[in-house]
Amino acid sequence: MNAPATLTTPDMNEQAQQCLQKLMRVWFDFERQVGRVPIIQRLERGTFTQDDYQRLLCHLRQQVIEGGRWISRSASSFERDYLDVRSLVIGHAKDEHQDYQMLEQDYLRAGGSEDTIQTQVANLGTEALHSFLMHRASLPNPIDMIGAMWMIEGLGQKMAGSWADRIDEAVPTTPPCTQFMRYHAENDEQHMNKLYAMLDRVCRTDADGLRIVKTARVVGRLYALQLEEVDHDDTL
Amino acid sequence: MSVYINSTGHYLPGSAIDNDSIERILGKVHGKPSRLKNRILKSNGIRTRHYAMDAEHKTLESNAQMAAKAANACVDAIGLRRQRLGLLSAATSQGDLVLPGFGSMVQAELGLSDVELHTSHGICSSSMMALKHAYLSVKAGEHEAALVVASELSSRLFKASRYEAAGDQPDFNAEFLRWMLSDGAGALLLENTPGKRSLRIDWIQGYSHADAYPVCMTVGQPRTENQDLSWQDYPTYADAEAAGALLIRQDVRLLENVVKLGVDGFLRVMDKHRLTPDSIDHVLCHYSSDHFRSKIFDLLNAAGMMVPEERWYTNLYDRGNTGCASLFIMLDEFLNTQTYNEGDTLLCMVPESGRFNNVYMQLTVVNA
Repeated sequence: MNAPATLTTPDMNEQAQQCLQKLMRVWFDFERQVGRVPIIQRLERGTFTQDDYQRLLCHLRQQVIEGGRWISRSASSFERDYLDVRSLVIGHAKDEHQDYQMLEQDYLRAGGSEDTIQTQVANLGTEALHSFLMHRASLPNPIDMIGAMWMIEGLGQKMAGSWADRIDEAVPTTPPCTQFMRYHAENDEQHMNKLYAMLDRVCRTDADGLRIVKTARVVGRLYALQLEEVDHDDTL
Repeated sequence: MSVYINSTGHYLPGSAIDNDSIERILGKVHGKPSRLKNRILKSNGIRTRHYAMDAEHKTLESNAQMAAKAANACVDAIGLRRQRLGLLSAATSQGDLVLPGFGSMVQAELGLSDVELHTSHGICSSSMMALKHAYLSVKAGEHEAALVVASELSSRLFKASRYEAAGDQPDFNAEFLRWMLSDGAGALLLENTPGKRSLRIDWIQGYSHADAYPVCMTVGQPRTENQDLSWQDYPTYADAEAAGALLIRQDVRLLENVVKLGVDGFLRVMDKHRLTPDSIDHVLCHYSSDHFRSKIFDLLNAAGMMVPEERWYTNLYDRGNTGCASLFIMLDEFLNTQTYNEGDTLLCMVPESGRFNNVYMQLTVVNA
């Protein structure tokens, strides 16, 4: 969603097109929500510290590890009428399921200790986000998971396109400690085209569109909560 | 009650300055030609612009004088009796004086008696805020006629000596706008009844996002990490200038947000007013640079809300980016040079990168 210059008119049915327009607005709204979160404000205003980055990665790790699970669960919830979608989602799960290893390596490069990241528990936002995603993914034919993928995909692009450079400036290490964030910049266009095709496939009615958009909004709200909780972590 | 734009006018100082002549007027910083100029000009696509300042850096006309010339052109175009004007609403990014408000200086220049006065403060969108104030005042029946004027004299910020006073060669963020902004003024006359050639103002809607984004375009902030410092916090103005706090800067890393927020607002007003791309006959968009045009189109295409490219009008490339005056100058030239018919709908949009305030307006041609 960082407006790749090559983005062209997606060829899709009317409901999917309307849904995509709403998903874009959900994304723009989400970017504003994220822009109000203190740790991201520090990042964008040049006051982000090494300690901030370590905590951010520690907190993201739980969600990234669980990311593989909700995508796999979604795949298994697609019934025979959605065999093609199931295949696509399995492919997606395979792409993403070892992201967390890169993240852990970045954390160590940023000066964090292995013990800390291994024992970090999910924060409140991560709990809520993961529970919601697993719940939706467990329902039969969870087409609204494409709304979740839209948000997570957008986040990957945002991390690579906007956050990674700022983190490299704030936490300069050799080699750089931003490989997890940068990894998502690759194949942007290909991922977006896959998402458009999947949206065209699964969004056929107004009700489909509403459900997809709602899931995207919930994911955005809970992701922002997860980021807010990075500063609130009080491990009671 | 409906409100109509019954006349428009603009003023551009001096002759058109081409790309090769810019540095002759603004000057070479420390005597060296800019290494960034061509790259920035290529990106913004501007070919000619106007400056109210000569190569000796003498100001040839003040900002208020340019505003008055545009206002007079607007009023004289339909021979309006000045006594009818109940309100003068003015906008600029930087007046000739820090105080009083720009409107006072323009009123004096125009010799308008007994008007109610409004000055709006901001950057590109300040003209739209001034216009909205006038629109609502006429709509509420407070005034029968209101004059809205927007004017910019930004070239004074771009003198080579200003950059030299701030130290070494300017960084990219400090130099970016030097090759983009230029001078000019535009004016609109609003009345509560239509005239011979009128545009009805259907609505004006703004969305500001300063709470969610850092500041992106500034005058008054030093180049150091401590962005909480203001130019007024220094012991002397000379100290502030030496710290680079009086340079106009653009945080180019944040600029991409203008496109996204501009499109977001576009989709919001389309939805709110139940508009489709087919229902819009002309789009007048103040994009500051050609670079953003294709990015806006990409996102509108993805959203399935692209208004066909041939309906987009701009005079950015020949008249320059005149900040808050741009849209008024564009509208005036559109009305005088383009083809349009009664009932045509114009969608105007002014996305501002200062701290992300975007304003949209719909006009309908009622008498062509």
